[in-house]
Amino acid sequence: MIAHYLPYLKLLLKGVCVLSFIAVSAMFLIWLERKVSAKVQNRLGPMITGPHGSLQSIADTVKLLLKENIVPSGADRLTWWLAPFFVTVPPVTAFLCMPFGPTFIVRDLNVGILFICSITSICVLGIFMAGWGSNNKYSLLGGMRSAAQIISYEVPLLLSALVVIMEAGTLSMQGIVHAQEPCWFFLKPNLFVAFVIYLISATAEVNRVPFDIPEAESELVAGYHTEYSGMKFAMFFVAEYTNLFIISAVAASLFLGGWLGPIRPSAGWFLLKAYVVIAFLMWIRWTLPRVRMDQMMSFAWKVLTPVALLNVLVTGWLLVAKG
Amino acid sequence: MSEFAFYFIASCLCITAVLSVTVKDVFHSSVWLALSLLFVACLYFYLDAGFLGVIQVLVYVGGIMTLFVFAIMLTSKIGDHSIRQVNHQFWGGLMVAIALFIVLVQVVGGNPLARLHAAGSSTDLKTLGTSLVTTYALPFEYISLLLLAALVGAIVLGKVKK
Repeated sequence: MIAHYLPYLKLLLKGVCVLSFIAVSAMFLIWLERKVSAKVQNRLGPMITGPHGSLQSIADTVKLLLKENIVPSGADRLTWWLAPFFVTVPPVTAFLCMPFGPTFIVRDLNVGILFICSITSICVLGIFMAGWGSNNKYSLLGGMRSAAQIISYEVPLLLSALVVIMEAGTLSMQGIVHAQEPCWFFLKPNLFVAFVIYLISATAEVNRVPFDIPEAESELVAGYHTEYSGMKFAMFFVAEYTNLFIISAVAASLFLGGWLGPIRPSAGWFLLKAYVVIAFLMWIRWTLPRVRMDQMMSFAWKVLTPVALLNVLVTGWLLVAKG
Repeated sequence: MSEFAFYFIASCLCITAVLSVTVKDVFHSSVWLALSLLFVACLYFYLDAGFLGVIQVLVYVGGIMTLFVFAIMLTSKIGDHSIRQVNHQFWGGLMVAIALFIVLVQVVGGNPLARLHAAGSSTDLKTLGTSLVTTYALPFEYISLLLLAALVGAIVLGKVKK
């Protein structure tokens, strides 16, 4: 009887592991971001709660848990209530095929990379719903900007992933990592171009500076999650940092050799590479100014997409020439 | 357990699909439609057709639904008045729906779950891709032509006359 339910128990346990990892990782990343921003802006950042403010995120979490849930008058209840789930659940689901190590993966789907790309594209709807349901013009504007941005940058993102898929000859995340055993992908010139395109469009996908116009503080308060408070706001926050981790982890697996490394443990290498990418993105965020909406759209369609298409063509030629 | 999962997904799909055509608020309607499309993707995953499931999410939920919602937001004041549930084509539409339902029941037969398992043998990506550019090249090109026509049409409609 117990043996019958064992597989389900195992699945449940894996789910709990993923959820705790996401929560802890988000809390750490929030602290890291505050520290990095402080470093860039030549100040100290959080210093009071714990050594170097390391317990600040825990204190913030407790605060958010205890805060009142305020619903604005005239809010569209259904969309208001559903939106945080639409934003939070997809990034959690994407961990299903995240290769932490040679055997350390929940399920190695044979369409792994496409699964991650498609499941995270659901977030757009959540952002839309948050913008629409809040009954606030800033939220609505933020939601619309976000949608326009994510649709536009999805194209170069998928095209740059396509180059990796062509080179590796497989869609499975583990297969792509194994294909990099002779040489990490970003060392090849055509794949390096894809890596740069991927990083730019992934930054836009998760609404970070220089592409953070959906939540531009100086114009839109906080964009689509202006009206959310307490635990619902915390869900948006966790989703944002989980998405940041996912794009960095995917970048690490697609271009930087994933869990491949000279010594064990392989999960350590994977996390190290992912965090290097995260640190790079944080550095960019606190260094660059924000671009304008029209600049951003024309950059996506007139520069990034043609270059990505050309890159696909060149990679195809190279692969055919190689035989 | 496996059967329970199927019936759970299928009933969620039915409920959200019905809700998407019966609710009056056009934005809610699109939310329910998105959910029902997601449940269709769940069914594909359940049947081991991972590629179809992924494409369903990517194209329908990530692409088409986003455009739907975008269009709703750009149409001014559409959220203020609720859409009408019936028009003069109601009875005709109902007839077609009933006929389609009968045909589908005939095709699927008595035990839908068994049929689904029989049909759900997963084809690998390579066969799918090759057949798309060899056996089914003509329909494939037709579809792309149709999409191109739709694209041109949208530009013509959207162009502001000077």
